[in-house]
Amino acid sequence: MKRLPLAISLPTLIQILIWGLIVGCIYVLLASGLNLIFGVMKVVNFAHGEFMIMGGYVSYWVSILEGLNPYLSIFVSMIIVGAVGILTERICFHQVLGTSKLNELILSLGLIYVLQNAMSVLWTDYPVLIDSPFKNIIVEFGIVRMRLDWLIVIGITVLVMAGFYILIRKTKIGRAMRATSQNRVAAMLMGINVERINMFSFGLGTALAATAGTLLAITTSITPYAGEIPALKAFTIIILGGLGSPLGAVVGGLAYGLVESCAVTILGGTWRDAVGFAILILVLIVRPTGLFGEKEK
Amino acid sequence: MKKRTQLILAIAIIAIIAVSIVAYYYLIVPPRRTIKIGLVASLTGSAADVGTDMERAAILAVEEINAAGGVYVREYNSKLKIELIVGDDKTSPADGATVVTKLITEDNVDVLVGGFSSAVTLASQVPAIDHNVPFVITGASSSLVTRRTDKNTSYMFHYCTITDDYSETIVRFLNHTVKPIVAPNRNLSLAILYQNTAYGQGCYQSTINFINDLGLNITIVDAETFGMGDTDFHTQLLKIKDAKPDAVYHAGFTKDTSDAIKQGIADVGLNTLYIAVECCEEPQFYEFLGIYGDHQILESKFGPQAESYLDAVDTYKTTYIERWGVIPGMMGADTYDAIYLIAQAIENAGTLDKAKIRDEIESIEMPQMLIMMKDGIIRFDENHEIDPLCFIEQMIWDGTTLKPYIVYPDELKQRDFELPPDYEPGGP
Repeated sequence: MKRLPLAISLPTLIQILIWGLIVGCIYVLLASGLNLIFGVMKVVNFAHGEFMIMGGYVSYWVSILEGLNPYLSIFVSMIIVGAVGILTERICFHQVLGTSKLNELILSLGLIYVLQNAMSVLWTDYPVLIDSPFKNIIVEFGIVRMRLDWLIVIGITVLVMAGFYILIRKTKIGRAMRATSQNRVAAMLMGINVERINMFSFGLGTALAATAGTLLAITTSITPYAGEIPALKAFTIIILGGLGSPLGAVVGGLAYGLVESCAVTILGGTWRDAVGFAILILVLIVRPTGLFGEKEK
Repeated sequence: MKKRTQLILAIAIIAIIAVSIVAYYYLIVPPRRTIKIGLVASLTGSAADVGTDMERAAILAVEEINAAGGVYVREYNSKLKIELIVGDDKTSPADGATVVTKLITEDNVDVLVGGFSSAVTLASQVPAIDHNVPFVITGASSSLVTRRTDKNTSYMFHYCTITDDYSETIVRFLNHTVKPIVAPNRNLSLAILYQNTAYGQGCYQSTINFINDLGLNITIVDAETFGMGDTDFHTQLLKIKDAKPDAVYHAGFTKDTSDAIKQGIADVGLNTLYIAVECCEEPQFYEFLGIYGDHQILESKFGPQAESYLDAVDTYKTTYIERWGVIPGMMGADTYDAIYLIAQAIENAGTLDKAKIRDEIESIEMPQMLIMMKDGIIRFDENHEIDPLCFIEQMIWDGTTLKPYIVYPDELKQRDFELPPDYEPGGP
């Protein structure tokens, strides 16, 4: 009674792949933020997904209360969530940094529940979908049909990642972040205030997560508890792409989105989360440093 | 002397009577206590909206019963008040099992009620089974909760429609009402998008079974799955669209169902007839869906948002709104009925002995309350399941809100079924 999984038409297949790219864009933003935090601070932040969800809620709040275009509300969301990120770094991670990896892990796991419950109190448990002003606009390219919002998601991801690249590569603070990432002690000896770099990196990482959260709330929906699995996927992506590699996070994120869509198409929705982790295991066996990672010297 | 003897005799009689009364109350009649009912509900997590409704309904029922004096228990020779102890299963199987263990071992509840989500309840019922505590399950749809073979489910009762009830009502409606309009000369094409849990699989399997058993001219053209808590259904909906269905049966919860319908219409352009199941009969579902729910279908057994169809429902709705300020939901109605059912069973048993309460629940016969029964009587069959009367509502957008009307079966019908305005029929 069930059809063969690949018995689908070409336009549908293309649309499925495009959807995979859009999901991949959200993963790119989420994983890039996580990668930055890990790269600079060497901290494993399992609560990164909660910052993403917080970003979605802040954008929802701002767009409802102030009537701001949800795409413009991304800026407000980045600032607010980035500030919460800096506070979290100061109050929590700064205190345990360098003590033990277990402390950092337990702290980030505890943060998941604190943030989830805080969001539940603030915004209730009900799912939130941000209404885009372009929600009824459909664009067609030959045989392919998609929402204008999907194109905007791709555009925003490109813009944010370009800005992120310029910040990291072309600015003084970006150089300081890279230096801290490469050798923390040497960076300190060269006069870089690594504590300030930690703060900035955590804030920037969570601001990138906030962007991902807003785009997620526009394309699907969010609840306070929807951040855990995406955070795990973001970890998979940065391991897949190579820990600390910005290019790896981009390629890994897009690849993950595509693989996930293909897995749902071929194997069914149940495999959405499992297939990515299966690939991770495979990559770790074949190339433990990830696709773009370098061997530790 | 005679007078003195009489006096001694009178004092002796009074003393004997007094001692007997004291002995009766202190030795034979156990000390007065409350009836402890443990409510298992998802107060946090993905099903928190449903859990909150169950809690509110249970509180309402308990307040009503206590306001009338309580439940007469022969063993105590008095009316006992009900004490409701609420446990949050956090919409998680592990937390469900933990909270039920706590309700039984620490709070010493006499009976359990509630439980939402088959996946959660299949785990949370285990401590109740192990401790022989009667559990009236009001929010899990998989028949496994009373039919599982790995555990003795004799203390489990299912006061809730099961997936068989949903699917039978839906396929009968499709065959009776939709097929003549959409596919009079061919088989009706149906796609199923189901949650990959015992509940969703039950919906899927029972749909196939009823189509075959009833010999209906319905073909399942695609069946897709999703995980519990998923919010992205684009890929599955694109595949479903490619299969050209006449209708899509979504077997999920409030949030995933509303997400899927919105994504199907707005993003994928799948302009078809969507059928949701009664778990979605929550005020939030109508809010989430908004205009996207226009002319879509909801299988139900309790319609507080529909036009008046049962006096008991109207009264409950009014009381609930007065008490909580919101419209009641589906699982709360089951729970409300179940509290009354438990109270009746305890009164019939005349004791708080769990085995005797179980026996009385098993043999209970009382008039239907909020959930309509096919013969108007609440009773459990050999599988400890009820025989509810389900119906089909069509949601109509009036410009500001979404309002349901019963369109099937004919005896409850409030208006005729209409296809959605942008409906595109599928193919063979």
